[in-house]
Amino acid sequence: MDTLPWKHGGKMRFVVFVKQVPDTSAVCTDINGNLIREGVPSILNPYCESALNMACGVKKDGDVITAVSMGPPQAENALFRCLELGADEAFLLTDRAFAGADVHATVRTLSAFVKKFIPDYDLIFCGKQAADGDTAQVPAELAYMLGCGQFCYTQKLTLSGEWKAVQNYGSEVRECIIGKGDLLSVSDEEIGFRLPSAADYIRAAGIEIKKLNIADIGLDTFSVGLKGSKTKIVSATPSKVSRRGAVTDGSDPAKAAEHIRDAII
Amino acid sequence: MNNSCRDCGQSGECRLPPGMLEQYDLGTPTADGLMIWLEVSRHAGVFLESSSLEILSKAREIYDGRIFGVVFGDIELKPLYAEAFSYGVDTLYHVKDRRLIDFHPEAYCESMKEIAERINPSIILMGATPRGRETAPRLAASLGAGLTADCTELSIEGTVLRMTRPAFGGSLMAEIVSNSVPQMATVRPGTFPLKKASGNTAGTVIYRQYGGNSFKTIIGSEKRYSDEKDITEAKILVSLGSGIRNREAICIAESVAKKLGGMVSCSRTLVDKGWFPQIKQVGQSGRNVSPEIYLAFGISGSIQHKAGIMTARKIIAINKDPDAPIKDIADEMIIGDAESILKELDRIL
Ligand SMILES: Cc1cc2nc3c(=O)[nH]c(=O)nc-3n(C[C@H](O)[C@H](O)[C@H](O)COP(=O)(O)OP(=O)(O)OC[C@H]3O[C@@H](n4cnc5c(N)ncnc54)[C@H](O)[C@@H]3O)c2cc1C
Repeated sequence: MDTLPWKHGGKMRFVVFVKQVPDTSAVCTDINGNLIREGVPSILNPYCESALNMACGVKKDGDVITAVSMGPPQAENALFRCLELGADEAFLLTDRAFAGADVHATVRTLSAFVKKFIPDYDLIFCGKQAADGDTAQVPAELAYMLGCGQFCYTQKLTLSGEWKAVQNYGSEVRECIIGKGDLLSVSDEEIGFRLPSAADYIRAAGIEIKKLNIADIGLDTFSVGLKGSKTKIVSATPSKVSRRGAVTDGSDPAKAAEHIRDAII
Repeated sequence: MNNSCRDCGQSGECRLPPGMLEQYDLGTPTADGLMIWLEVSRHAGVFLESSSLEILSKAREIYDGRIFGVVFGDIELKPLYAEAFSYGVDTLYHVKDRRLIDFHPEAYCESMKEIAERINPSIILMGATPRGRETAPRLAASLGAGLTADCTELSIEGTVLRMTRPAFGGSLMAEIVSNSVPQMATVRPGTFPLKKASGNTAGTVIYRQYGGNSFKTIIGSEKRYSDEKDITEAKILVSLGSGIRNREAICIAESVAKKLGGMVSCSRTLVDKGWFPQIKQVGQSGRNVSPEIYLAFGISGSIQHKAGIMTARKIIAINKDPDAPIKDIADEMIIGDAESILKELDRIL
């Protein structure tokens, strides 16, 4: 018999923050090493998908999983995917003013959303990082803004009397007790690309994604997007790593091996 | 004229719209000093993490002001003071509490916030290690500071810290500045060479207590260190990808690595296959490595893999496909069969 620690009104509320990213496996570079982003399909960030899967894994009847994303209108697609994978409702925070946000401005937007719309949530799940941006800063900043504990690199979440998270720091793996309102940042040990069933598709198709703009969330233009950012990209240049890029024929393994040896020693 | 709230005549919290402050760069002129969290490694002894010492080495090179170090732990840290000073720390804050021997990000951040408010540093740095990447954002949020992750180059112009970090798997380098103080960054381990500042091993130590109560309940912890070093410390990496078809090749790679004084690492596909443990994986969801030489046998060079090797000094790729994307960052492309070349290499070394 499990006693759910902070279960109220018979159901738990899980919030999963997700991001839409370009499918990095489909990104190509041109001859100068520049990214060609046009025509690259967008996908649900794989790390966010793990986070959602973790939430789905602990969900019981009556619990509610809310998927939330901030992004342009097209980011709806990532949320559709979340609904197919098991989320019960979805919010898209979308407004021109949100564009160009750095971590600080992003987190301010996300935390304002939570405080206004889901203040009584039980747990928040985030992906460890975005596959395209790779700063991995949103979860911990968000935890601070919401005044909750953070559990980064979470690999496993279990409930047996208490909620427990297994965190993997590489050199150390530890298990901690988590409390109501805490935030989990999920690492991708087992990125499972689960295939939704036909029933999932039908269920998802019946759910409307709620769109919220800056006024709905109750922020002003100075707090969000580029204007609310604390960091500024002053330049972005193709890496000028001075690689020689010499190409050598290695059809004769013996010669190739000698070549490598000479290059190393 | 450095406090916004006085400027706008409000007592208590400032009513200026958030974001407005930064537009005027208030506070910048008074902030001074560089603060670094010195991470302590507790595997097989107590050491300062080399990632922290690397940052100190770089900081001393580009910064003339005072450098403040912060360490967490109990008396076992005393032997580390001298090393911290020899790498250029002027003042060391030791937050002394047995309970902080374990990593408690919330408590660490509260302490560092208090210290930062006291010294008002213009820059705060820490290593982009798993714990550094977890701590820095929370601290940044608590100080209302901007933060740039995983920098591979730092420079200072006047009071401005210029931070460079790879983006999109290293194909772009973005230069970033903060528009508020403190300016915060995490630095990719292995990027800067170690350099002691002086023969000086003395400096000021300030003890602090942690008065808060933000401790996690840790019910179990398992240190996962082997006798072997971490792949991030290897000078030479012999790395295998899915172009390697026979598992026996791993033994040959081990042998080659041993002869070269290096280690074996791999791409994610071989971890997925169960051929390697995850700690051997190079890349975005594995380790970022900066060896002198990276030998990539049968690795295509996906964005995620490239992100992990872009600070390697020299990359030699062995691939049967001359157009494999790894060519964009390889110093040498050798077009041939990975396994037979590996075997030959083992024979002649
Ligand atoms: C969110 C996310 C995170 C990821 N994180 C990582 C990560 O951290 N690290 C990582 O490595 N991957 C990561 N990946 C996976 C990544 O996208 C690639 O799938 C993976 O790196 C490919 O590994 P590979 O180069 O070994 O295999 P492949 O891409 O299959 O490449 C094999 C290469 O071997 C060559 N080859 C084949 N046969 C021979 C032969 N006989 N001799 C010589 N060459 C040969 C081929 O030409 C090809 O270039 C991640 C993916 C996602 C979605």
